[in-house]
Amino acid sequence: MPFSASTNPYSNGPASEQISNIRETLLLMASLADRNLSLAIRALVERDEKLAATVEKEDSQLDELEISIDELVINHMATHAPVATDCRLMLVASKISSNLERIADQAVAIARRSLELNREPLLKPLIDIPRMAQIAEGMLRDSITAFIDRKPELAQEIIKRDKEVDAINKQLARELTSFMLEDPATITRSLNLTIVARCLERIADHCKNIAEEVYYLYQAIDIRHERDKNA
Amino acid sequence: MDESKPSAQTAEVVPTKVAAPSPSDKLARLNAPTIIDINNVDFYYGASKALHGINFPIKNKLVTAFIGPSGCGKSTLLRCLNRMNDLVEGTRIGAGSIKISGVDIYDPSVDVIELRKRVGMVFQKSNPFPKSIYENVVYGLRLQGINSKSRLDETVERSLRGAALWEEVRDRLHTSALGLSGGQQQRLCIARAIAVEPEIILMDEPCSALDPIATVKVEELIHQLKQDYTIVIVTHNMQQAGRCSDITAFFYMGRLIEIDATEKIFTNPTQKQTEDYISGRFG
Amino acid sequence: MTTRAHPFRRQATVAALKETIVFWLLRAFTYVILGFGAIIFSIIIYKGSPAVFGSIRFDGAFPFIHNDFLFTKPQTLHIFRYKGELKQMSAAQYYAFTGEGTPETAPAAATPEQPLAPAVHATTEVVTPSPARATNAASALLAPATPTPPAETPAPSAAQPKIDPNDITEHETYSYAAGGIWPQIVGTVLLVIGSMTIALILGIFSAVYLSEYSKQGPLISAIRLAIVNLAGVPSIVFGLFGVGIFVIGMGWNISLLAGWFTLAFMVLPVIITASEESLRAVPRGFREGSLALGATKWQTIFSNVLPYALPGILTSSVLGIARVAGETAPILFTAAYATSDKLPWELSITPNRMHSGFLGYVEYPFLWIHDFALHGVSALPYHIYVVSSKIPQNEYTERVQYGTAFVFLAVVMAIALSSVLLRIRLRNRLKW
Repeated sequence: MPFSASTNPYSNGPASEQISNIRETLLLMASLADRNLSLAIRALVERDEKLAATVEKEDSQLDELEISIDELVINHMATHAPVATDCRLMLVASKISSNLERIADQAVAIARRSLELNREPLLKPLIDIPRMAQIAEGMLRDSITAFIDRKPELAQEIIKRDKEVDAINKQLARELTSFMLEDPATITRSLNLTIVARCLERIADHCKNIAEEVYYLYQAIDIRHERDKNA
Repeated sequence: MDESKPSAQTAEVVPTKVAAPSPSDKLARLNAPTIIDINNVDFYYGASKALHGINFPIKNKLVTAFIGPSGCGKSTLLRCLNRMNDLVEGTRIGAGSIKISGVDIYDPSVDVIELRKRVGMVFQKSNPFPKSIYENVVYGLRLQGINSKSRLDETVERSLRGAALWEEVRDRLHTSALGLSGGQQQRLCIARAIAVEPEIILMDEPCSALDPIATVKVEELIHQLKQDYTIVIVTHNMQQAGRCSDITAFFYMGRLIEIDATEKIFTNPTQKQTEDYISGRFG
Repeated sequence: MTTRAHPFRRQATVAALKETIVFWLLRAFTYVILGFGAIIFSIIIYKGSPAVFGSIRFDGAFPFIHNDFLFTKPQTLHIFRYKGELKQMSAAQYYAFTGEGTPETAPAAATPEQPLAPAVHATTEVVTPSPARATNAASALLAPATPTPPAETPAPSAAQPKIDPNDITEHETYSYAAGGIWPQIVGTVLLVIGSMTIALILGIFSAVYLSEYSKQGPLISAIRLAIVNLAGVPSIVFGLFGVGIFVIGMGWNISLLAGWFTLAFMVLPVIITASEESLRAVPRGFREGSLALGATKWQTIFSNVLPYALPGILTSSVLGIARVAGETAPILFTAAYATSDKLPWELSITPNRMHSGFLGYVEYPFLWIHDFALHGVSALPYHIYVVSSKIPQNEYTERVQYGTAFVFLAVVMAIALSSVLLRIRLRNRLKW
């Protein structure tokens, strides 16, 4: 599934092998991050402690993969002096892997909050958080699809979704603040939910970053901070 | 939304051990068996000492690259490995030994002819003989008195396929080898070398006279050949060493400065001289 | 018109003047040399070609070649007045004309009888033991031999009645001036082929040894220097060397074999030097490539060096061929006869069946080789020497003198040309 031979610019040889290796490792990392995120959300929604523990345990793998991607990248740069797309890939791979690692860290944070939340009854039915999670997860998957399938236009489209998540996060924060003001007994739970929402907002930001990197990889145009410039 | 994640079906998810491809695999491969053991070799051109106590093993079925500035002794050492230096008058091994599969190749009992059949060589300047492509490939076999048509035909196809040249020349095997392009000529020389089924192929700057595309083809070929042969390549192109070797040895002034896995040499050399050379600061 | 002032303007300087003078001097020297060469060659061609291509002036038959000059043996030319009429005849024609019968019965014919030609016989020092035998053989073999016959001379016939000797006046004879030069051409070609074969084999082998096998050192350098110096040794010295070693030492007498070896030794320095050069010119990669495939040194040299050096060796051998064909001195005492009665393959002195001790009579089927190689030959350069110095120079002898020189030039050119063609063929086949 990852690469078809037709989209691989190299016929064979060590250079293409190493590049495929980097891309595949990145893909592996993405799928692990995606999985951890799903598990963390499930741990929260289904109030399942085992799942939360799994998320924490699997995080170390992502850390290892981040290191090994950096190693692969630097080795390839040192031995092959890549240029053009390959050269951008080196930079992008490194950034994507660190973004993925942070996504996984946020997933761990969510899992930890879920453990705390599980000790008390639900404050309210979870509606907004699963929605945010769904959007964030969609962003992550789509950005990885954009990376694999070389679709910069898809990456561009992902970036817009970040605003939705931000909006939900703000709205949820207001809602939870009102909860806390009404009943100080809910402060812990409200804060935890706020943190989970904030984690998801961060994850969406990371996904946006990944999408920007993917766009840069294939179009060689840096679209970061465009809103700041236009503003 | 959980259902959309097939990998997380149950709560009892066991952390999967992911096989992350890491450069440490490469280091593990360095534990391949030694095929050539170079043991404290001193080498002289007449009175001048060209190699000073070279001491390292060459691993089986890996690509070992010798790099270093001109005159550092890398080619000299390469030519010691199949005793091509014997052709140059006044050269001698002053001390030490070179053992291939445990046999000291400078022992008087060694037949140089047999040695060179086992240790083939490809030269800097592609040197196809002014014969047909076919005759070039079977030259080594004819020397051994093999003239059976079927055997020769079979060898020609096998060698040319091995050298990734078969598809390009199959229709003109009996035309002059000099009509080939530079890269094709060099691959023909490689085909000629593998026709006699050596164990080790020595390459003395095989791409220095080739254009980049031809170079890439030869490098890809080296990458394939490593499945079956131990390859030692001398190059003054550091990137080439980086691209196609597993182990890199850096020589300077007739001394071995550093030898390590290629990734290690290129990302974190331990010697300052090595770093200066590969960064292009001298040499 | 004003010349525009710019830094590269042409100016009349001393250096420019010198340049012009030097150019014209060099050019003048070269053209003077070329001019002399052209004069010599045109004289030879103008005076010599009628002997071969004189047909336009005489019989006019296509392809205007006088076969009798090229393909018959030399004869003595008889000039005499018969009843006051000037007649010019070859020996064979003369004997038929006078009816003096077989030369064996009339050996006196060759001796000076006529008081009118004492000077001629005084200068004709080269008198072969029995020229009459040669003429006999010639007349038997080549009956219609009519060298430069004046048109009015009637064809002699054996049936003609014996004429009165007193009718012949002013009788002069010139050796070799009649007939052709076939034995000389044959001898030259044989000498060239044989000696070049020997010289090439010896020369290439020693060049291979010197440049491929020997360890370079003072001894080899000395040998190489000696070889180069040998090239400068006068050819007469080689001739004497041949006499000492082959003619007397080996007991070959004056023979083709002795000539072959003498000439071979004379051109060896050229061949060895040229072969070494050619071997060195073969790229090192051919040797290394072959050796690296497990070839032995000899396999490498034989299959991968010599074939590519051969065109160069042959080119340089052209020089040797010209020298072998042209030198008189080395064959003077070793191989050349002024005239030989029989061509080398016509000799069969040694019987094929011989009694050899206790074996009784034994067949020796190849003894003709012995006769072939151990007898002398005539050669063009030696013939030129003989006809230009041993017989007088006048309108009767000019034909053979210039004709021989002309044919000689043509033969050398033909040999050289064939060598060049061979080289071109080899070079085309073995180009790198």
